[in-house]
Amino acid sequence: MKKFKFPMRYVPISATILVFFVVYLIGIISFENFGSPKVFLDLFVDNAYLGIAAIGTALVILTGGIDLSVGSIIAFTSILIAKMIASGSNALVAIALALAIGILFGMLQGWLIHCFSLPPFLVTLAGMFFIRGCGFIVSEESIGIKNDPVFNFIQNDLTIKLGKGMNLRFIVIVYIVVLIAAIFFSQRTRSGRSIYAIGDNELAATLMGIPVGRTKIMTYTIAGFCSALAGVVYAIYLKAGNPLNCVGLEMDAIAAVVIGGTLLTGGVGYVFGSLFGVLVLGLIQTLIVFDGRINSWWTRIIVGLLVLAFIFMQNLITKISKSKSKSQ
Amino acid sequence: MNKSSNKFRHLVWPLVSLALLLLFNAIFTDNFFKIEIKKQDSAQAVQAPSGTLESPQPGTSWITPEKYETVNGSAEAAANAAAEEAGAAAQTVQDSAGQQAVPEKKDGKGVSIFGYYLYGTPIDILNQGSKVMVLAIGMTLVIATGGIDISVGAVMAIAGAIAALLISMLDAGNCIGAGMGPSVYWIIPVLAALVLATLAGFWNGMLVAGFGIQPMVATLVLMVAGRGVAQLITDGQIITFDNPGLVFLCNGHALFLPFSVWIVVAMYVIFGLLTRKTAFGLFIESVGNNERASRYAGIEARRIKWLTYVICGFCAGVAGLLAASNIKCADSNNAGLYLELDAILATVIGGTSMAGGRFFLSGSLVGAILIQTLTTTMYMKNVSPAIVAVPKAMVVIIVCLLQSPVFRAKVLSIFASKAAKGGVQ
Amino acid sequence: MNKFATVIMAAAAATLLVTGCSKSDSSKIKVGFSQVGAESDWRKASTESIKGEAEKRASIELTFSDAQQKQENQIKAIRNFISKGVDVISFSPVVATGFEDVLKEAKEAGIPVVLFDRAVDVSEDGLYVSFIGSDFVEEGRRAARWVLENVGENANVAELVGTVGSAPAIDRKKGFEEIIKDHPGIKIIKSQSGDFTRAKGKEVMESFLKSPEADQIQVLFAHNDDMALGAIQAIEEAGKKPGQDIKIVSIDGVKTMFEAILAGKANCTVECNPLIGAQLFDVVEKIHAGETVPARIPSQEGVFDSKNITQEVVDGRKY
Repeated sequence: MKKFKFPMRYVPISATILVFFVVYLIGIISFENFGSPKVFLDLFVDNAYLGIAAIGTALVILTGGIDLSVGSIIAFTSILIAKMIASGSNALVAIALALAIGILFGMLQGWLIHCFSLPPFLVTLAGMFFIRGCGFIVSEESIGIKNDPVFNFIQNDLTIKLGKGMNLRFIVIVYIVVLIAAIFFSQRTRSGRSIYAIGDNELAATLMGIPVGRTKIMTYTIAGFCSALAGVVYAIYLKAGNPLNCVGLEMDAIAAVVIGGTLLTGGVGYVFGSLFGVLVLGLIQTLIVFDGRINSWWTRIIVGLLVLAFIFMQNLITKISKSKSKSQ
Repeated sequence: MNKSSNKFRHLVWPLVSLALLLLFNAIFTDNFFKIEIKKQDSAQAVQAPSGTLESPQPGTSWITPEKYETVNGSAEAAANAAAEEAGAAAQTVQDSAGQQAVPEKKDGKGVSIFGYYLYGTPIDILNQGSKVMVLAIGMTLVIATGGIDISVGAVMAIAGAIAALLISMLDAGNCIGAGMGPSVYWIIPVLAALVLATLAGFWNGMLVAGFGIQPMVATLVLMVAGRGVAQLITDGQIITFDNPGLVFLCNGHALFLPFSVWIVVAMYVIFGLLTRKTAFGLFIESVGNNERASRYAGIEARRIKWLTYVICGFCAGVAGLLAASNIKCADSNNAGLYLELDAILATVIGGTSMAGGRFFLSGSLVGAILIQTLTTTMYMKNVSPAIVAVPKAMVVIIVCLLQSPVFRAKVLSIFASKAAKGGVQ
Repeated sequence: MNKFATVIMAAAAATLLVTGCSKSDSSKIKVGFSQVGAESDWRKASTESIKGEAEKRASIELTFSDAQQKQENQIKAIRNFISKGVDVISFSPVVATGFEDVLKEAKEAGIPVVLFDRAVDVSEDGLYVSFIGSDFVEEGRRAARWVLENVGENANVAELVGTVGSAPAIDRKKGFEEIIKDHPGIKIIKSQSGDFTRAKGKEVMESFLKSPEADQIQVLFAHNDDMALGAIQAIEEAGKKPGQDIKIVSIDGVKTMFEAILAGKANCTVECNPLIGAQLFDVVEKIHAGETVPARIPSQEGVFDSKNITQEVVDGRKY
């Protein structure tokens, strides 16, 4: 509705979408088979866990905080589930327990951050070390999940076949559902609105009577849940758990969120943008794999440059909108 | 800001934690404080002992201690170690001697001044911890302005990579300066690495202070891309070198201690003097406290911030050289991996607030030693390094809570509501 | 608009990188290879062997991808190979588990898979055609046998373990322990992970040498050469003679280690041959021609110590 009144807000996200299509186009022109629907579908399959993790990260960043424990929580939940199934417990129980631990862990982090006004960077950094260490305590070796009825059911019956070699997997459906829920939550609910208010100006939000503490703790709890869910998805995706996996994934998630148009100082951006952030990251990687001759480390360098470009753009927009509001 | 009564307050909790850890080791880890004095025959130190080949062999040693005697007063040694750790600041005089040491070993023969050096776990902690200590010095200044630099690990990798690349080119004679001979030309890669790292810091500073980008994101760029750059410099290879000068940095000894420790001391003294004896430190604190107010007060807030990132980059370069020197090769994949986190932890444990505004260089050094002691203790106790993260995280949270004024106030208010107010103020 | 310029520049950079490649020659065998990373000299040699061999052969068109030691990258790469429509997929798995789904997908697409260097753990047979490479357990056994033969029935061993949880670390440890199980005189008195890197190998060895058991250590068993090379430095700094006071056995067989053995600073390295590019593409060509290949192809490897290492061997070593 306000679309035409405040187009500035939509510039970053439209730029992300533009970049996505440009990169996609480059791929289609340069390589045969790049345009096949399978490549597009695989983007979702291979990045579903990253996408779910990025949703949590996006919400936390919108409050002006940061969550570095994402990758570790994914590794921990996946190894916990694999270990529990290997020692004979029901997969559903394992998944429920893993999600519960994620929620509790997120809540604990939020509590420490809010109640003792410790910096989020530090608390989640310690959380990252802690939970990865816990993963190694569960098992130092990777464990495969074999012949589990629940996992087989997910694999065989919850997959929608779209044609030869193309399956809409359960994990993709989970991602899309969570994404829609998160978009609705952040745009249409009171708590979601509070997140924006806190990220924009915490003091003002407090004065307005917004329950800052509760909202913050809730956001970190949601982030913990998203990370744990990403871990569950990861376990389904790999049918295995490995405490070494997803090292540094939090940085990918943050990069995806920034590329997706969210301002790191909080208050500005859309959860929806993280989808395209994740897709752009995945697409660049695909492009480099398809080429197969250039050094894979270019992925990192290009992602770095992209992040930089988006930061510049956001900075510019902030300045322009500031000067506009002054002149008005 | 800090009056003498208050001066060492910030050091209390880190020092208490360190003391507890050392006490634990004194009781439960045998030989922890055993320090030996070793002597080495400096004349033969570099010539390959095997005497087989004229070509230098990677993996060969440059230190060949001939004999050593054990000093068995472990209590005495412990006291020494503690004194060194706590009072590093007091050693300004020796430091200048440490600087003098550089020209002497250039001929690649005198590996250790006076031929003696100390050998033991506490010395190892200082040596291995030197990288994080150097990083923490730069990080402290950046954090004091309210910023953060998460790219230092990647910058370390770049510095090590360029140094190793240049030294290998020089050894092969493919670079300007090769004519100077290996005993002199090692200075070229060292300078190149430092310049490059300083440039990296300059870049970060430009993004943060010049363009006003949030520090976390601005440095994220280099963190993500930097390791890729290092990989490209070395072409993905691990480049080994055995130039005596370069190797000396983290393996040589001067005045009984590893040379790297003297580098830390030198940097501490330089930046300590710079921040406490000039207005620079006050400016940093002022910018960290309230940037806008300081600007109105006539402080060039931007320039101050920029400078801290440059310093941080320089420190990362030194740390990168130390890391490469330690293992005599540049390993772009692993050099400095996650060390940015250790450096930030060390800084925060040392009492510097992440919100900016006050900083304690000495505290950061103690923090770095604390982290390294923890790691070494785990090695000595045969704890799997993967699990090391768990106690590390808990120590960090506990120390942070102890440093947090809110936490103190809450705890105090439980005991006595009156005391609470006094505690916060 | 100004801001779009930056974005477009980034995109243009990507285009630059990509242009020039594409439209492949259909007569060639398209091979997709996913490497673990570039974490050690050994791995680098393996990569070069594969790339070099692919260039030599006119019949092969190689698509190479570096997973940067991350399984998630590797799975993405394999999926992309399938989409790209390569003829044969080969990869060196980061870990043993978690490849079942993607291998099934390759099978459905009718693309044969050749494993290289490390095996995978799958519940179904027929997901891969062949596995070329070393047997990590056997390497551990060989190292233990060398200790038995050259040090004797009584030895206190310090062990530098690889990255916790990684396949070579687990298997090499397993193989070593399997042999010494029957020889109670050989005891592992210290065991700690050195993460397969020199820096950690050195740091951990330093702490071993300061432990109360330091003087009892007679043998060092390192899971790779890089850690052993780091440990040699630590041993020398401690005033002991590596190779004499402490015998050093490690695995991989890189050139630097050979030089160390020749200089008397180390004793033995169990070869784990990375130069199996030729072997790999022989198999690929056979598969493409419709011939059957054995499911397990061991690479040719030896055990090297001071008895069989000469200057010529060192000079002839490519990595």
